[in-house]
Amino acid sequence: MLFLENIKLALTSIRSNKMRSFLTMLGIIIGISSVIAITSIGDSAKATVSKEFESFGKNNVMIYPNWRENPDMTISPNAAFSQEDIDALSVRFEKELAYIDPSNNIQSETTVGRVKGKWAVQGVAGDYDKFKNMNIIHGRMISNSDLKGKRDYVVIEKTGAKFFFNTENPVGRTLNLNVNGNMREFVIIGVYAEEKSLFSGLMSTSAYAAYSPYTSIQGDLEINASMLNIYIGDGYDIKQTSDAMVNYLEKIKGIEKGFYTSDSVESQQGTVDQILGTLSLAIGAIAGISLIVGGIGIMNIMLVSVTERTREIGIRKALGARTNDILVQFLIESMIISAIGGVIGTALGAGIAVIGMSIAGAELVISPLVVLFAVLFSAMVGMFFGIYPARKAAKLDPIEALRYE
Amino acid sequence: MSKEIIRLENIYKTYKNGTINVEALKDINLTIKEGEFVAIMGVSGSGKSTLMNILGCLDRPTGGNYYIEGVDVSEKTDDQLSQVRNKNVGFIFQSFNLIPRTTALKNVELPMVYAKIPKEERRCRAIELLNGVGLGDRYHHMPNELSGGQKQRVAIARALTNKPPIILADEPTGNLDSKSSIEIMEIFRKLNKEDKNTVIIVTHEHDIAKYTDRIITFFDGEITSDKETENMKQEAL
Ligand SMILES: Nc1ncnc2c1ncn2[C@@H]1O[C@H](COP(=O)(O)OP(=O)(O)O)[C@@H](O)[C@H]1O
Ligand SMILES: [Mg+2]
Repeated sequence: MLFLENIKLALTSIRSNKMRSFLTMLGIIIGISSVIAITSIGDSAKATVSKEFESFGKNNVMIYPNWRENPDMTISPNAAFSQEDIDALSVRFEKELAYIDPSNNIQSETTVGRVKGKWAVQGVAGDYDKFKNMNIIHGRMISNSDLKGKRDYVVIEKTGAKFFFNTENPVGRTLNLNVNGNMREFVIIGVYAEEKSLFSGLMSTSAYAAYSPYTSIQGDLEINASMLNIYIGDGYDIKQTSDAMVNYLEKIKGIEKGFYTSDSVESQQGTVDQILGTLSLAIGAIAGISLIVGGIGIMNIMLVSVTERTREIGIRKALGARTNDILVQFLIESMIISAIGGVIGTALGAGIAVIGMSIAGAELVISPLVVLFAVLFSAMVGMFFGIYPARKAAKLDPIEALRYE
Repeated sequence: MSKEIIRLENIYKTYKNGTINVEALKDINLTIKEGEFVAIMGVSGSGKSTLMNILGCLDRPTGGNYYIEGVDVSEKTDDQLSQVRNKNVGFIFQSFNLIPRTTALKNVELPMVYAKIPKEERRCRAIELLNGVGLGDRYHHMPNELSGGQKQRVAIARALTNKPPIILADEPTGNLDSKSSIEIMEIFRKLNKEDKNTVIIVTHEHDIAKYTDRIITFFDGEITSDKETENMKQEAL
């Protein structure tokens, strides 16, 4: 029959039973809104996390003894990384190795005037800001000559600058730091601003962050690191190169194979993505089940509606409606109920995602494909669960339907 | 003479109710010519409605053949019968059978919707038909806002939409007072005499039957008499 006529008919029937239609839609609304909310939140979380990882640089690799697989391995003093190891790596992987530091750090109680506080100083090599995303707002970052010259320079975070010096720009002033028991005077050569991130809240300590040449904060002691912090140069395969570095270190240090392991931001991000993906898939499946429940609700109401309208169906058939006319009429009705539910659910789900993401402070990603899919899918649910009632209506015998009381 | 429009040959209808079989029609043979005005009479339960439902293609006989304009209807599929109901017969029920919560205009338009007639044309024809039955001021009334006589007039307008040659009415005045009954019968007479429709009416009131030209009487599923009325004899004079 005429398609438009059927849509009008369906809308009239939905309108004349507003409350019932709404309750029928509710299952679909809940199902679709949770699918939309969950996939949007999942996508947004993924995007946020990958942005977070990118601030470290995707090419960041850590090399360390494989504690995870051999928790009770004994460490010979030889196993720790020395400056010699760092130099050897830099020579052997001259092209591939863009940056390396032994990942050392110190904590120091410091007094400036009458202000007392704590600093956490991370040892870095030169040009660290070229690899890790850093926002230098005053002065400069530690350079390679600072590293070679073992200069007592420090680059501090903005909030620390404000706390100790009551200015964002204390470049040129000095800071006393406790290096292995000796108080030494460090010159502030730069200030950077920490970008607000999802992790900064988690990692917050009472200490203010700062960077110094790793040679300076080692004091008079030899480098004796349990971990190497490395950036691989552009264009080199991260996994392959880091494996080669691990092999090389094991070889030159005369240590059995598999003693060291490497971990890259790339592989960590892959793991997190996988966890997030599995999570949204699992919750999405639960939401999918609620869609099926919603569909059964539609089937139930359509069956009631067919029974209630048996006489009407009889009249329509008596006036010339064919089996298909009645079938399409009821199919379109259940599809429209379901699609309206889908549209409302999409809006609601997007709303939930917007609120959720604004609380988390992350950017919202709503994929138009997901929205399209949700509405189409809900219409399909309506159609699928509408088939049985519609067939029941269409197959009614005209004279029996007319006699129905 | 005018040609035959309806022919029943050895029509049987048996209802099975569990183990009990009810023979509602037994070996009915009947011919009705184009333009006839026929009343079907008989006591309650004699098989009148059963016959009308078969004539209107709402039901199928258990046995025998039914020809409309020489075409055997018994052979047709359900959807083809829908077509016949839509185009060839206009059926009017005792209980009106208007679609509830739907305006008079929409009710009249309905058979044209199934005939795939465009909207504008549907609207025009429905208005014309409602005017024809004297309901020019009731287009947008719902069935529950109409009196019995008005409802039946809407039902007649609806039966006429696709200009069917055959009009069937099963006790059309059964639920009406005598004044409305007369009005309705006048409409049927006009349809027969002026528009040359074949009209078959079931009734058990002689006053109503008097409007027609031929009275067929049923008893226990069989035709017991088939006579021309005074009208015919007067016309013949
Ligand atoms: N659907 C049905 N099932 C069983 N018996 C029926 C059914 N319809 C009619 N009958 C029986 O068939 C006979 C004829 O009924 P009907 O044609 O309705 O009579 P009328 O219209 O002359 O009053 C009656 O005995 C009635 O009980
Ligand atoms: Mg009857």
